[in-house]
Amino acid sequence: MTGGSWLCLLAPLGGTILITLCGTRIPRVAAAWISTASCFVAFGGAVWAFLGVHDQHKALLRGEITTAWTWLQSGNFHAGLQLLVDPLSVVMMLIVSGVGGLIVLYSIGYMDGDDEERRYFAYMSFFVFSMLLLVEGGNLLMLLIGWGLVGLSSYLLIGFWHERPSAVQAAKKAFVMNALGDATMALAFFILIAHTHSLGFGANFNVRLSSTAINLVALGLLGGAVAKSAQIPLQTWLPDAMEGPTPVSALIHAATMVTAGVYLIARTYPIFEQARTVELIAAGTGALTLLVAGLIALVQTDIKRVIAYSTMSQIGYMFLGAGVGAYANGMFHLMTHAFFKALLFMTAGLAIHALAGEQDIRQMRGIGRLMPFTKWCFLAGALALVGIPPFSGFFSKDSIVASAAALGTWYGWIFWVCGIAGAFLTGLYTFRLWFLVFPGEPSPFVREHYHDHHGREGAWTMLAPVGVLAVLATVGGWLQWSPRWHPFTDWLAPAARTLAIAEPTSTQEYYTSAATVIAGLAGITLAWAIYSEKSVTIKALPFWRRTLEHKFYFDELYDAVFFGPAVAIANGLRREIEEPVILQTGTDLGEATMGTGGVVRRIQTGLLRTYVLFLAGGAAAVVLAFLIAK
Amino acid sequence: MSGLVVASAGNALVWVVWVVAAFSCLGSGVAVVTFSNPFFSALALIGNLGSLAVMYLLLSAEFVAAAQVLVYAGAIVVMFLFVIAYVGPRRETPWSGGPSWQTIGAVGAAGALLIELVVAVGMQASGSLSHDGKVGAAFGTPAWVGRVFLIDHLLAFEITSIVLLVAAVGGVILGSHTTRMDPGTISSDAAQERRQDVEVVR
Amino acid sequence: MLGPDVAWYLAVAAFLFGIGALGVLIRRNPLIVLLSLELMLNAGNLALIALSRHWHNGSGQIFALSVMAVAASEVCVGLGLVVAINRRNLALDVDKLSELRG
Repeated sequence: MTGGSWLCLLAPLGGTILITLCGTRIPRVAAAWISTASCFVAFGGAVWAFLGVHDQHKALLRGEITTAWTWLQSGNFHAGLQLLVDPLSVVMMLIVSGVGGLIVLYSIGYMDGDDEERRYFAYMSFFVFSMLLLVEGGNLLMLLIGWGLVGLSSYLLIGFWHERPSAVQAAKKAFVMNALGDATMALAFFILIAHTHSLGFGANFNVRLSSTAINLVALGLLGGAVAKSAQIPLQTWLPDAMEGPTPVSALIHAATMVTAGVYLIARTYPIFEQARTVELIAAGTGALTLLVAGLIALVQTDIKRVIAYSTMSQIGYMFLGAGVGAYANGMFHLMTHAFFKALLFMTAGLAIHALAGEQDIRQMRGIGRLMPFTKWCFLAGALALVGIPPFSGFFSKDSIVASAAALGTWYGWIFWVCGIAGAFLTGLYTFRLWFLVFPGEPSPFVREHYHDHHGREGAWTMLAPVGVLAVLATVGGWLQWSPRWHPFTDWLAPAARTLAIAEPTSTQEYYTSAATVIAGLAGITLAWAIYSEKSVTIKALPFWRRTLEHKFYFDELYDAVFFGPAVAIANGLRREIEEPVILQTGTDLGEATMGTGGVVRRIQTGLLRTYVLFLAGGAAAVVLAFLIAK
Repeated sequence: MSGLVVASAGNALVWVVWVVAAFSCLGSGVAVVTFSNPFFSALALIGNLGSLAVMYLLLSAEFVAAAQVLVYAGAIVVMFLFVIAYVGPRRETPWSGGPSWQTIGAVGAAGALLIELVVAVGMQASGSLSHDGKVGAAFGTPAWVGRVFLIDHLLAFEITSIVLLVAAVGGVILGSHTTRMDPGTISSDAAQERRQDVEVVR
Repeated sequence: MLGPDVAWYLAVAAFLFGIGALGVLIRRNPLIVLLSLELMLNAGNLALIALSRHWHNGSGQIFALSVMAVAASEVCVGLGLVVAINRRNLALDVDKLSELRG
């Protein structure tokens, strides 16, 4: 069991190191296959670990910690290189390595021909390693290390095409916003160390801290989660992150990294349950984000950005679930979301690749006629996203919304309404995308630019993972149907037990499901009416349109509040202090030295008699001094 | 002043000899500095050196006195005379040339030194200079000097010999014909160029 | 000690030194400068011999002999310079020989 976890963690690292060391000596495609193989080996390790945990599950074992060595030691503070194998980490390991492996396989076809393919695959393996370190970390320090490394990998991969200034800007933006979250998390850890002298899970989860301390810790953790998962107010980096290659968007910004925030809340739930207010703030943030993101997605014209906002919205659902206390539901939605969101990104990538990089949906009309496989796979993903049975999203999303209702409080009902409204919006924007892109006659642009790959829609390395994920998106949800049959929740119970007040009753589940499905279908119908049949036209509403297109002016707000003053301060400092004082000091010193030299130079008259005079005068002075001293 | 006590004729004789030697020393010193013809200055130096030798004899330093006459008057002044003869007649008056502050400063510095030294001597007169006594008969003899030089101060002896060697070599180099130089008053930069021209032509 | 006290000899030496210093400072012919330099050295020698006699320490005379030897070397080199200057037909005037200036 623990061997599986080590294998899972170290295989992608080994892949990265191997690719880096081989450099340009191996062909590009060899690097690609090394990376893919390392991810699948990691998946094997994850399965091995899963089997081990499953065996011991009967004994309701909490999980086993395996320590390599004591890494950090200071006084009575120890932090070991520890991995934790328990149901929660195994779920994440399977998702990350499995979906990650499929996506890396897909990249082989997608990135074929790129000059820097080796660097790409080294980064991808490194990302998988970092994410696995995050989820397998046996103490908070390992988690933080993984946290930082996934931020780094994200930066490297978003800015992969570094000749593009927009990509570089997006990478920096992502990194800086993530760094904000890292900082708050580090502060939370400092408080924990101050109280418990340890960063281990057990030591920190079983202790009772003072109310202020625990609230601060929870806020710090929430800050990190919000930054990493692109929730309001730190969400502006995620749409820009679409500058990276599509498989990167699929892996990092849909399936795995952005869900790390949810994982964090689930992992540290004892802390959050002690700081219930902060936990509910997390749920509120999720509810707000899912609405805002859904609204913004309605006006986006870039296919990847629509899916990005959809990701933001769905993570809002997961935050909602974890925030109210239904951790297993949140994790289940994380799993199904990984399937269908990666699927959506990858099918979009197929279309983008076939059209040689075009991402504007207004140009891509009718491509479904030329790419049927892509069309049906996208449809499967879209239905899963909206939550139509029997697709996977239905089973996971509804239970989250029902958990909100189970709370019974006023905010619980608000969350419930948000969830239903979000389902409507999801249907609307998803099928707006569908109807604009896939069905119908191919547009002249499509006809002119479409090129297939030797008669097929793409290389087999691209089609096979899409197919696998389409199947998973369809049947993945059949693992659990909350009212009747919940093996997933039971399995996760030792690691992340659902809060009692967040357990919905069967009735709540049923009517919630009905409501969300009806809302979703309503959204689909409206989208069909507007975009396909064109029987309904929406009013112009220029104010709302502008606001949504500017993403509720978050970027402008941050620009004015943070970036503008920072630049002004920097420029001011440079003008007032650096140039006149610091630089000028150097110049002044030089000039003063030269000036002094010019003056002293005149002592060298060249006349012997002057020199001797100085000698004699000096000797007289010295003798005088001696006489006086005597 | 204890020196004024005339205890015996011997003492008086010594005093007379000393006065004569001292005055001729200082007089010839002034002459060295003030004559405009360098030849006469060198001759005055001989007188100065002779008076000093007499004073050394009064101070029981026979070997040093002999060496003074032989080396200084016999060798160094002769060298001076050779060079003065080679260089030719040049007359130059003292106190001439240079900025006025130089002359005033010169007098000031020299005078200050002089006064300070006199004061120092005067101050010491009651201190460590009051010791008096007899010296042995061997004090100042060549054998005694040789013994002290070669036993107590061997390092100084050897270093002095090295200095003499270096000076000899230096003198030879400075005086030798090392470059093909055209006559005429030319600066060293032009001389460098001419040298290069000569080599290029060759 | 017969005759004057050592203080008198030291006074003579001081005067001689002053005269020599004055000569070095005010004369322009390098030969005269060297002669004046000899005066100063001899003044030092006189002081050394006098004090050696006074304190019965032979080191004074030894020092004086070394000074003599060094003075000889210095004169040798100095006169070599004068000869070299003269051979290049430069003016024998220390005020004019001033190219080593800043």
